[in-house]
Formats: sequence, C-alpha cells, structure tokens
Amino acid sequence: MARRLGQSFWGDLADLCGAVARAMKVTLINLIRRPVTVHYPDKVRAYPDRYRGLLALTYDKETGEENCIGCRLCEYICPPQVIKVEMLKAEKRNFAKTFTLELYACEFCELCVQVCPTDAIIMMKSFDMSTADRRELLLDKDRLHQIGLKFEPSWATGNLLREMQTPPKTPAKAGGHAE
Amino acid sequence: MDPEARKVIELGYGGSERLTMNMGPQHPSAHGVFRAILTLEGETVVGVDAVIGYLHRCHEKLGESLTYTQYPSIASKTDYVAAMTSELAYVSAAELVGKIEVPKRAQYLRVIVAELQRVASHCLWLGTWCLDMGGALGGGATVFLYCIREREWVLDLFEALVGARLLYGFHQVGGTRYDVPAGWAQKCRETIGLIEKRLDEYEDMLESNAFFLARTQGVGTISRELAQTVGVSGPLIRGSGVSYDIRRLEPYSSYEEFDFKVPVETGGDCYARYRVRMVEFRESINIVRQALDGLPEGPVSSRPGVKSVGQVRVAKGEGYARVEGPRGEVGCYLVSDGGAKPYRMKWRGASFSNLSVLPHILIGCRVADVVAIMGSVDPVFGEVDR
Amino acid sequence: MPTLPPLAAEAIYGFVVAFIVLNVIIGMVTYVTLLERKFAARMQSRIGPYRVGPHGLLQPIADALKLMMKEDVVPRRADRPVYNLAPIVFLVPCMLIFATLPFAPGLGIADLNIGVLFFLAVSAMEIVGLFMGGWGSNNKYALLSAMRAVNQIISYDLPFVFVALIPVVLAGSLRLSDIAAAQAGLPYVFWFPLGTLAFFAYIVATLAAENRVPFDILEAESELIAGFRVEYSGMKFALIQLGEYAHMIGTSYLGALLFLGAWSGPWAATSPWWGALWFTLKAMFVFLLVTWIRWSFVRIRADQILAISWKVLLPASLLLLMATAVVVALRSPSG
Repeated sequence: MARRLGQSFWGDLADLCGAVARAMKVTLINLIRRPVTVHYPDKVRAYPDRYRGLLALTYDKETGEENCIGCRLCEYICPPQVIKVEMLKAEKRNFAKTFTLELYACEFCELCVQVCPTDAIIMMKSFDMSTADRRELLLDKDRLHQIGLKFEPSWATGNLLREMQTPPKTPAKAGGHAE
Repeated sequence: MDPEARKVIELGYGGSERLTMNMGPQHPSAHGVFRAILTLEGETVVGVDAVIGYLHRCHEKLGESLTYTQYPSIASKTDYVAAMTSELAYVSAAELVGKIEVPKRAQYLRVIVAELQRVASHCLWLGTWCLDMGGALGGGATVFLYCIREREWVLDLFEALVGARLLYGFHQVGGTRYDVPAGWAQKCRETIGLIEKRLDEYEDMLESNAFFLARTQGVGTISRELAQTVGVSGPLIRGSGVSYDIRRLEPYSSYEEFDFKVPVETGGDCYARYRVRMVEFRESINIVRQALDGLPEGPVSSRPGVKSVGQVRVAKGEGYARVEGPRGEVGCYLVSDGGAKPYRMKWRGASFSNLSVLPHILIGCRVADVVAIMGSVDPVFGEVDR
Repeated sequence: MPTLPPLAAEAIYGFVVAFIVLNVIIGMVTYVTLLERKFAARMQSRIGPYRVGPHGLLQPIADALKLMMKEDVVPRRADRPVYNLAPIVFLVPCMLIFATLPFAPGLGIADLNIGVLFFLAVSAMEIVGLFMGGWGSNNKYALLSAMRAVNQIISYDLPFVFVALIPVVLAGSLRLSDIAAAQAGLPYVFWFPLGTLAFFAYIVATLAAENRVPFDILEAESELIAGFRVEYSGMKFALIQLGEYAHMIGTSYLGALLFLGAWSGPWAATSPWWGALWFTLKAMFVFLLVTWIRWSFVRIRADQILAISWKVLLPASLLLLMATAVVVALRSPSG
C-alpha cells in the first residue's frame, strides 16, 4: 500500500496529491457524521447492569433490618484498607456498630461486595456524588444506607458473584452463567 | 572558498554550540512522567540522559503485603493502559508456582479479553502518537479523537462484562471473576466488526500520506542486532526483523489453539513498528472472533469464589510467567513460601526494558524525531516505574 | 461654525473610519475562533463549545474576559523592553494589512495603488515581533521556536509573493480594487490551469506563512508547548492571539480577492453591502479550507518544511508566474 519516498519526483507529487485528497475525504466524512457526544448531565447514557458505582449498605427486603452483621470480612480484604467496621453483638445476630468507608480512596474493585456473606454491601449504577469538600466522601453507616435507597443497585452481590465463580460440584452439570 | 573563512564557519557552528534542554517530566508528549535531558547542537540530539522513577509506587512491596486474592486488582495498575495483560501476568505466575489449573472456558475468556485489550491499547497508541506528531491543535488531534472514539466502544464492552472501564480486577488465581452476560458475545462481534472498518479509515488517512511517511520512515531505526542485544520486546523487536512473540513461542492460556499471524517487518524504523501494530489490530480481532466461536461451556474458575482474604494459598516454590502484552513481554517472577502472600514478587515491565534502547537510537536524530520515536516505543510509565 | 482645515478633517475622518474597521475586525477575529472550534469539533465527531451561551455563542466573549482578568506573569530574567514590546510589534502589522483591503467598491480605508505590495510587505513585518517575543522570554523553548519561525516565514514569503503576483500580472495593476474589478467576469481560480494551480499554491503558502499544520513547527504543541508565546499570559497573550487570527483572516481576504473575485456575486451591483457580504463569505470559505487542511494532517519536520519551500514551492511559483506573463503577453497584441 505505501511506497518509500524519494523514488521519483512526479511519482511522489502524484502520491502526495492522492494522499492529501484521501485524508481530507476522511475528515469530510466525519464532518457529516453525527457527533458521539452525550450531553451529560442533561442526558445520561444507559449504564450496564454490572456497573461498579458508589458503594452502599442494604436493608433486608422482607424484614427491613440491616443486612450487615459486622463480620469485617470486607475490611480485611479491601486492598487500600478504606473500610473500618466495629461489631455490635446482640442476641439473635450481630450488627455493625460503626461502618466507615473512605470513598475518596476506594478503588472500586468490588472485592468487598464479593466476600460479603449477607449481600449487605453492594455497588450502585451511579457515581453521581461530586462534592467540593473531601470530608463529605468519608461515608458513615447512615450515608451508606441513604445511598442504597437513593440510586439503582447494580446486579452484583456477594452471593451472585460467588455463585458465578464457583465451579459446580457435579462435573456433568453445564456451567456458562446466563442471567 | 577562503580557507580562513571556512575554518571560522565550521568551528563556530559544528563545534561548541551545545544546548542542554530538559524534556521534563511535565511535557505534553512525554507519554507519562519521563524526563529526558537532551543535549542539542542546533536541532540535532547529541546526548540523552533519561531519568525515570517519577511514578514509583512500590508495587513489588505491595505484592509482599497483599494476598493472592487482593493483588490482581492492583496488578492492573502497573500497565494501566493494558490492564488485562498485567493482571494475567500475575495470576499466571501464581498458578504456575502453585500448579493450579485453569478451566478451558476461563482460558478462552482470558484470550478474548487480552486481545480486546490489545485493540484498545493500540487505539490509544495510535491516537497519542499522531497527537504528538501533529500537535494538539492540528491533524493529530483529529486522529486522536477518532481512535479514542473506537477505544470507547471496546471499553463499553468491558464495562458490560466487568463493570469498570480502565482497571478491571477481572482475573483471579484459578480463573476469572466474571462470566459473560447475556447478549455480550453478539455485541462484541458487532463492535469489532465496526472497528475493523474504521481501521481502513485510519490507514487511508495515514498510510500513503507523504507527511506521515516523511516523519516515520528512516526515523529511529533499531537494527536487528541492537534489538536482540538490548532486550526490547513486542512490536519493537518484531519491527526489526526478529519473529519473537510469546504467544507463539511459549503459548499460554490456550493460544496454541488459535490461528493467527505474527507480523514481522524488517525496516526497524518507526514506520515498520507502525505496520506491525496495524497488522496486530486485525489479528487480534481475528483471534477474538475465533475465541467467541469456540467458547466452551464450563466453570470460569477452578476454585470456589473468594470468601475470605487468605483463601488462596500457593505451594512453596518459585517461577516466572510471562505474557505478550501490547508493549512487549510482561512478566512476573514469584517466590512463594506456602502462605497466602508471596514472599517476593518481581515485575518485568515491558516498557522498562524497551526504554533502554533510547540512548542508542536518539543520538543523531532531530528534536522533532524524539517525539516520533517516543511515540513508536510506546512506553507506559506505570510499567516502567511500578 | 469654524471649518476645520482640510488636513485635520481628513485626519479625523480617517481616524474614525479606521477605528470602526478595527473594531469590526477584532469582533470578527473573536468569532472566527469560535467558527474554527466548532468546525474542527464536527470533523472530530464532537460538538465544540456548547454550554456558554446558546450553542457556545458567548464563548469568545468569555475567553476574552478571562484573558483580561489573568495575572500578567513576567519571567524574572526576561529582557523587559523587548518582552513587553513584542506583542505590540507583532499585532500592529497584522492589523495594518486591513488598511488596504477594499471590502466593496468604495468601501475601504485606503485604496493604495500599490495595494498588493503594501499588504505583502507589512504582513511580513510580524516576524520581527515574533522573534522579539522568542528572544525576550529568556526561555530555550521560545528561542528555538522563534528561530524556526524566522526560518520558515522567510522561506515561505518568497513563494507567497510570487503567487500573489500572478493575479497582478493577469489584471495588470497592483491596486487591489482593480484586481477585484478585473474578475467580474470569471474569478481567477477558474482560469484553468494557471489560476487553479496558483490558488492551490497560495493555500499552501498561506498555511506556511500562518504557522498552521502541517507547517506549524513554530508552535508544535507537543514539542515546544506554545512556541514563542509560551511565556506570555493574560492580556499580552490575548494581543498575540488577536494578531495571529487577524493575520489569518487578512490572508484569507487577500486570497478571496486575488483568486475568488472579491465582491462579485448576485446583487453586488445594487449596493456595496451585498458586495461586502460576498467578500466576507468567500474569505470565510478560504479560511475554512485552510482549517480543513489543518485538521487533517500531521506536522512535518523543520528541515522537510524548508525543503518543500525551496525545492518545490519556489520553483513552482516562479514557473507559474513566468507562464502567466507569457500568456498575458501573447494575449494582448501591444505586449
């Protein structure tokens, strides 16, 4: 397709004119194409189901109780160590006394979601929490619950992720997760 | 000409007028944080002193303090432009040392994802290279925006698969963390079909363009002997005539089952490396199609899903696993003492070794060529400094 | 009422007209930047400025206000007089070129009978301001860029002049309004092959004289950041930008006049304002053509730019000029 330069003057000149015309044709075609800009924030694009957005704590759907049992598994697995949990022991089940998550340092790697045994911590399909003060991004338990009620949750929860990853017990059973 | 006059002219110009110019860590075309102290004579570079380390984040120490379940998400931050291949190097090393099996479906998924990542990384390479050569307010910016537009489609695919666009955390020791959602395979095929057509547009804009050829042909030639001595890999060595591709030489993750060409050019200059990468684009799309066609059913991991931080333990031993990243050979040498964390982990960054060729090829070229050469070497400083 | 002496009356009249024209030009310059940004954005699959004012129409005003409010940072060891005077020395010739442009028959400041010569000579004086800026900044990048610029603009002024002389030979006069009037039948760009080739050569020479890609080693954002402008901020930077774009528009107007027939068009005979409108539209067409080329190509190296000028463009423009002269001599029996 391409030739080395410097072979012949008229050949080079003809090549140059052809190349110039071709390059300008490409830009002209793109002039007529629709721009790909999405007018954020007036219009937002559709985020996929598995989008890893803000983190949130959830309530149980039937009983309305908090899901978090304060087991601290998310605290131990978090690579940048942004989660800090204190457990509150009670009769039937444990709770989290305090649960702080430093969102400004979070990597959004979804490992905390993966290990949670009760699907308490999940990620949302939105990241819309920009602020001018970094202290507002130090989320405590109340704010995490608020985020959970405000935005749309992603598909991923701990049990679903572990189920997707764990190989089946019987080798004959077909895998290939389809939602 | 009067011999006295000639002596004055030649001494004055060719002798002692040297300018030390700092192509500093903050520079629009330093491709990251890279400092090159250039000694110039007029417009010609006569000396180069490269300074790196501005992005050092102690990855190898982090590898010793984070467990095998935590580190793959961090591994993507070494070569952040090609995060999938970086993670793959680490988990391959852990699987090699621990003799952990990876199911077939996971291997095919890893191949699909690695090749899609190669397409995205080469899109970024082409865009930023043309941006450097053409100026932020010129034709370079046009090609840059087209390439980024195509790259965004690939990142949309990753977003649908994983949830993240740049740093994924897709791999885990024993397989992958995510399986393919419904409809993803179809979307993937459509996207790569569109990208293949757009590649024709780029080649139209650049290929026979005399300006582009004048900037890239004969510039930054790495001879075959130099390439083999210095230790470059990836498109740099394949552009100098040596057919060295780890996917062919030491196939990992089922690469031996795919039919693809390894492009080799003998020119050794920037244009040859450009041709190598353009062919790699199309070959990657080819591999993704083959992998999607042949994707087997089965589990995506050979171990249960991660439930606790110390779940994965790797047997005692040491080993080196390497993958063919878009920039070259990315490797991870792992020494394990049987616990949940590695005893020692060493990254072989492709860009770090590729940068060692710079003092050899930058001497004697012009200032404008420095940018073209840096672009065609395509360093990512996350890999260089770790 | 005492009448003013004729010299003073003429001076005041000239001052007022020049003031009006200058302001119109400055207004046009700011909105031409918006036009270029939107045009370039559409070629790159995006929209340009959009939120400042409806569809970005207030963007140039916001930019101008911002530049006026910025702090004026002067490097400590800069050569003060040279550094401070450079934007003005750069701007004045770029504005002066509009003095000879006749925007319509009878509408213009000073229709000199050596109009083309004045235009070309004055527009080449910007190089002095450019070099002063590069030198006075005490910055190696700026100096390197200024040296490259001197090289390039001097090399390309020669073919520029020769190509601009082709319509002069065809029309037989250096006066700009004569050249425009001579194209009333058919603009010179359609006089195939000489006129068309001359037009393309003019476009190439304009690109180089304007430091536009593919000839913009002067600014080369990715190598020399902003070239000789790198140490300027605030109002001085605004003046330099103004001068550059004014020069750009000036050469577009000249191209429209020399090759596209200036004010000829429907209804041009009825009123001079229609002629001015057509002239402006044609100048914008030349400007957009140059912009289209600018956004399609990568830059070429300094030595290659000079090679193109001396080895290709200069011989080509000389040949075209000689061929035009021969054609004109053969056409007119008096010789």
